[in-house]
Amino acid sequence: MHDFIVGMAGSGGDGIVSAGESLIGAALAEGYYGILTKSFGSQIRGGESSCRLRLATQPVLNPGGTLDVAVVLNWEDFRRFGGELPVDARTLVIYEAKTKVEPTALPLGGVTPAAAVAVPMEQMALQSAGAQLAKNNVVLGLLAAWFGLPRERILAGIRKKFARKGEAVLAGNERAFAAGFEYAERTPLPAARRLAPAVPAAGPMQLTDGNELCARAALFAGCRFFGGYPITPATEIMQHLQRDIWKHGGSLLQAEDEIAGVGAAVGASFAGKKAMTATSGPGFSLKAEMLGLASVAELPLVCVDVQRGGPSTGMPTKREQSDLFAAVFSAHGDTVRPVLAPTTVADTFEVTVEAFNLAEEYQTPVIVLSDQELAQRKEIVPAIDPARFRVVDRRVPAGEELKDYRRFRFTDTGVSPLSHPGLPGGNYLAAGIEHDESGAPTANGEMHARMNDKRLHKFAPLQERRDLFVLEGEPDAAIGLISWGSVAGIALEALRQARAEGIEIKLLVPKLLYPVAVPVYRDFFAGLDRCYVVEQSHQGQLHRLIRMWADVPPEFGVLAKSGANPISPEEIVAQIRAMTRARAAAVRRH
Amino acid sequence: MISPSEDAAACPAPALTAKDFRSDLKPIWCPGCGDYGVVTALYRALAAIGRPAHEIAFVSGIGCSSRIPGYTTAYGFNSVHGRALPIAQGIKMANPELLVLVAGGDGDGFSIGGGHVPHAIRRNPDLTYLVMDNQIYGLTKGQVSPTSARGTQSPTSVYGSMEEPVNPLLYVLAYGAGFVAQGVPADMDGLTKIIEEAIRYPGFSFVNIQSPCISFGSPDNQIKNQKAKLRKLSDLGHDPTNRLRAMELAQDYGRELYTGVFYRNPNPPPTYERRIAELQGRLAAPGATGA
Ligand SMILES: Cc1ncc(C[n+]2csc(CCOP(=O)(O)OP(=O)(O)O)c2C)c(N)n1
Ligand code: SF4
Repeated sequence: MHDFIVGMAGSGGDGIVSAGESLIGAALAEGYYGILTKSFGSQIRGGESSCRLRLATQPVLNPGGTLDVAVVLNWEDFRRFGGELPVDARTLVIYEAKTKVEPTALPLGGVTPAAAVAVPMEQMALQSAGAQLAKNNVVLGLLAAWFGLPRERILAGIRKKFARKGEAVLAGNERAFAAGFEYAERTPLPAARRLAPAVPAAGPMQLTDGNELCARAALFAGCRFFGGYPITPATEIMQHLQRDIWKHGGSLLQAEDEIAGVGAAVGASFAGKKAMTATSGPGFSLKAEMLGLASVAELPLVCVDVQRGGPSTGMPTKREQSDLFAAVFSAHGDTVRPVLAPTTVADTFEVTVEAFNLAEEYQTPVIVLSDQELAQRKEIVPAIDPARFRVVDRRVPAGEELKDYRRFRFTDTGVSPLSHPGLPGGNYLAAGIEHDESGAPTANGEMHARMNDKRLHKFAPLQERRDLFVLEGEPDAAIGLISWGSVAGIALEALRQARAEGIEIKLLVPKLLYPVAVPVYRDFFAGLDRCYVVEQSHQGQLHRLIRMWADVPPEFGVLAKSGANPISPEEIVAQIRAMTRARAAAVRRH
Repeated sequence: MISPSEDAAACPAPALTAKDFRSDLKPIWCPGCGDYGVVTALYRALAAIGRPAHEIAFVSGIGCSSRIPGYTTAYGFNSVHGRALPIAQGIKMANPELLVLVAGGDGDGFSIGGGHVPHAIRRNPDLTYLVMDNQIYGLTKGQVSPTSARGTQSPTSVYGSMEEPVNPLLYVLAYGAGFVAQGVPADMDGLTKIIEEAIRYPGFSFVNIQSPCISFGSPDNQIKNQKAKLRKLSDLGHDPTNRLRAMELAQDYGRELYTGVFYRNPNPPPTYERRIAELQGRLAAPGATGA
């Protein structure tokens, strides 16, 4: 087996997520690729928790669909995760014997898995370690022996984790692992499957997540101020920055609310520093007025929205792509601000750096739409090579430009040099009030129109930023897919499966969502007669946004689902096959 | 970035006058508005302080009073309603060398922006916050404000307001501000001195300026009445290091018109910027990179 997906669920105290972390840590050390996603019933600790881990000998595109192996510590918790831990006839179910459920009567809603084995995991933990807390290490032992996972690496991880807890605890957990391992060796599975040996990548790899890479990218891009307020699933960005930003001479404000957080960032940008804020849906709603202020005062600002299920408090721990409309439209007035979205964990670095570059270059707020999954899933990715990225700084006026300095001077590009307090001769009034070239308030309609034009026109070059789009598949295909954010990784896998079946198809993944780059879509749509947008929102927000700007193919559909409802490569492939059949039928008719 | 201190060291600047801080923009306030007096007192205070205008960042919210930064030659930021304090803190954190002033109305500071005041104060950045308290919403044409007396009749309270007013002086003292004063345009010299002292205080300083609204404010609260009503705290023998006494005097907000310094902390604690600089210094790792 080259690709292996295990899902585990239990109560908060069962350590199931911790077992997942141990496995992916071992996989990194051994040279596998992998993605670990954690899922909790709510943000609050102590409720049910689960994780799913996909390990492979090649780069993985998404956390995967149906489980190869399901580990069930108790059935109620497992079933609460529903579609997030899907089981079908391929799945092997390993479950706690204490639940007393017969293998023939599993509560799986009528699905019959490939096999089901009841294992006395808790009993083994008690016997070997004297504590049922060690259950998760029994699980690790079972998985290592049954599926050929890297035993020594897992043990090394356990030793590292328990080293600080004292000899006795460490020895107990090692015994728990051994108990699981030996049990599995004594009890062969009906159909043995083992993960193929790792094929380590040429360069160094790291285990990270989108929020961490976002914070690291911000520092790399020169961010020296962060203002924000804690909110799931964006808080880790602030937490990572809090540790490091001071070392770079920067500072961070955990503000009294999101308005103050973004306000302080606007202030820091006005003062000449690269500044950022990060939040999720409810906080994003609060920031809307400040985003408009930054647009009209033409101040660089990066605002990350790690999307979660909405509206309102919604589903804080679940992925959704439903803030696209808010990101594009939420500040009032005739304004445009770039909206970017990373599509993989590794991408978050690149997209965040790009966001700072666009912000500084065009003197504008830039929204980064990450999502809960990209932000929080742990992934084995290549180490970042900063030399690959350019860093753009704002145009500060100098020399002659400071004589008769006019902050909002009309220029060919629409971008005017930006001074900051402390710079002699650059004094000006920044304002949310409409202004003339010097910054003086105005209520003149003609000036307002010219300023609106300046603020829109400066984004014209974004229409040709083809590097902010990923294109895969046959360029001349007549059917296509569009997808974005973390869902794009699922669409890409579906595309590869469909092509392996001989279907000609192509996929477009925009990392620049707004302004809609019409020429890029025009070229993609040329020769297409059927196209579907795959996204995690109920209305299909990207689908609608594209239609607002671009001429779309005759059949332009959407495969859209509300948050927390998994989208699998299989169902996308089914959609692709349906498109192929419909096209073939249409061709026959002509 | 040009460091203001180096710049100042390079060429000893000639003495500044009030005129150096007056911009070319003509104020659009109603003739007779108290805010004219406030901006004039501010020009004079800034001249006395002597920092060049480009080293000053002056932030406001929205309201008649919030127009004030544009009438100075400083770097101004006329932002959005109620949010001047957060923006000012970001500026000060980004560049602690700047002299940062904040201004706005009583609605801006104690209604929509009221939630930011205690937090700015507990951080103690070296900012000076000037509230032009006219007990009315001037810009939106005369609605009741958070400092309006109970019973105030206005277009949004035609039968008289039912709430007690907030007491800016007492709130700010209770939040822990190190410098709290009140001034009136009826006493220009006094107001100038108070603003200057507030700026010189190393930490968060607050000046409540009873700046009458001639168009919508109460007829009893106009410059000519102020002259008759005002009582200087210094004449009352108030010791401005006595915080409890200051709070007692502040209770009379709305009844008595005291001017001068209510409270000045004799042992100013470290400012927010100082604490930040210490942390940065402690953690600074040469060659540290983000990636
Ligand atoms: C978010 C928002 N809400 C409401 C307004 C309308 N508004 C502008 S100024 C103001 C109140 C003005 O009163 P105050 O702050 O006391 O200042 P003054 O005009 O009296 O100097 C209001 C309600 C606004 N600009 N923004
Ligand atoms: S409305 Fe009142 S506060 Fe506004 S400018 Fe006129 S007098 Fe001043």
